[in-house]
Amino acid sequence: MTQAELAAYVHSELEKAGIDLVLSGGAAVSIYTANKYQTRDVDLVATGFTTHTQIKRAMLALGFRNVGRHYEHPDSTWLVEFPSGPPHVGGEPIGPVEVINFATGKLHLISPTDCVKDRLSAYYHWQDRQSLEQARLVAESRVVDIAEVGRWSRSEGFEEEFVKIAPLFERPRR
Amino acid sequence: MLEPLLGSKSAERILIFLFAREEGYATEIARLFRTDLYGVQKKLDGLEAGGIVVSKKVGRTRLYTFNPRYPLLPELKALLQKAITFYPEKTTYPEKTTEPLLMNRRRPRRRGKPL
Repeated sequence: MTQAELAAYVHSELEKAGIDLVLSGGAAVSIYTANKYQTRDVDLVATGFTTHTQIKRAMLALGFRNVGRHYEHPDSTWLVEFPSGPPHVGGEPIGPVEVINFATGKLHLISPTDCVKDRLSAYYHWQDRQSLEQARLVAESRVVDIAEVGRWSRSEGFEEEFVKIAPLFERPRR
Repeated sequence: MLEPLLGSKSAERILIFLFAREEGYATEIARLFRTDLYGVQKKLDGLEAGGIVVSKKVGRTRLYTFNPRYPLLPELKALLQKAITFYPEKTTYPEKTTEPLLMNRRRPRRRGKPL
């Protein structure tokens, strides 16, 4: 089972238990870039008022084991985590999510534009160049609303930084 | 003052500490408030899991700061800013602390320089 298939499986199974989730973080980058960037983590963020107990009960029923803050499955190398929700990018809630169907189920994930914002947030706050590169890879692979990323950057107080990195997101003219 | 809202004395102490000093580690926080280290560590863990603080290793110490990506951080800081002004001495936490919260040394001290 691939990382995306696992994410879709967990997403669909927990949805049956009344837990709505959105895939965020590095796994979303991985899906959007066809694995140009890879991570072991699968970060699923609850959209509603879900408790850890509800998530734990549902995950244990699927055969996962709770290890610290993540879940492991004996048949998988991926680590599933449930970061605190609701899903957001900086100070704003995420926009409309993408829906992708896999053989293992349906997956809701943050849009490519929100994925770029999420990565840039780490770059802006911690000068993490890996995150900047991931943002660039997503923008190279998918349609991203760069004007919206610019608006969000300004609203987060990082207009100057965005102006500096904006050329990285320019698509070559055909 | 924030304990009823946060549901925890440790959470109040940690947030006030990080607000005042911008960063801190569990032993330092527990020592300042003369409180149980385990309780502080456990609460820091919970605050990190909740996305309110982040940590990194500096040498052998785990250093905590507010998570700049926490969406309610400006509002939380505004609350802490107001809360801290209600304490008897603005620069000192009201309880049995071993040192003032805000008046700690921040400037560098050369290695080997006598105290």
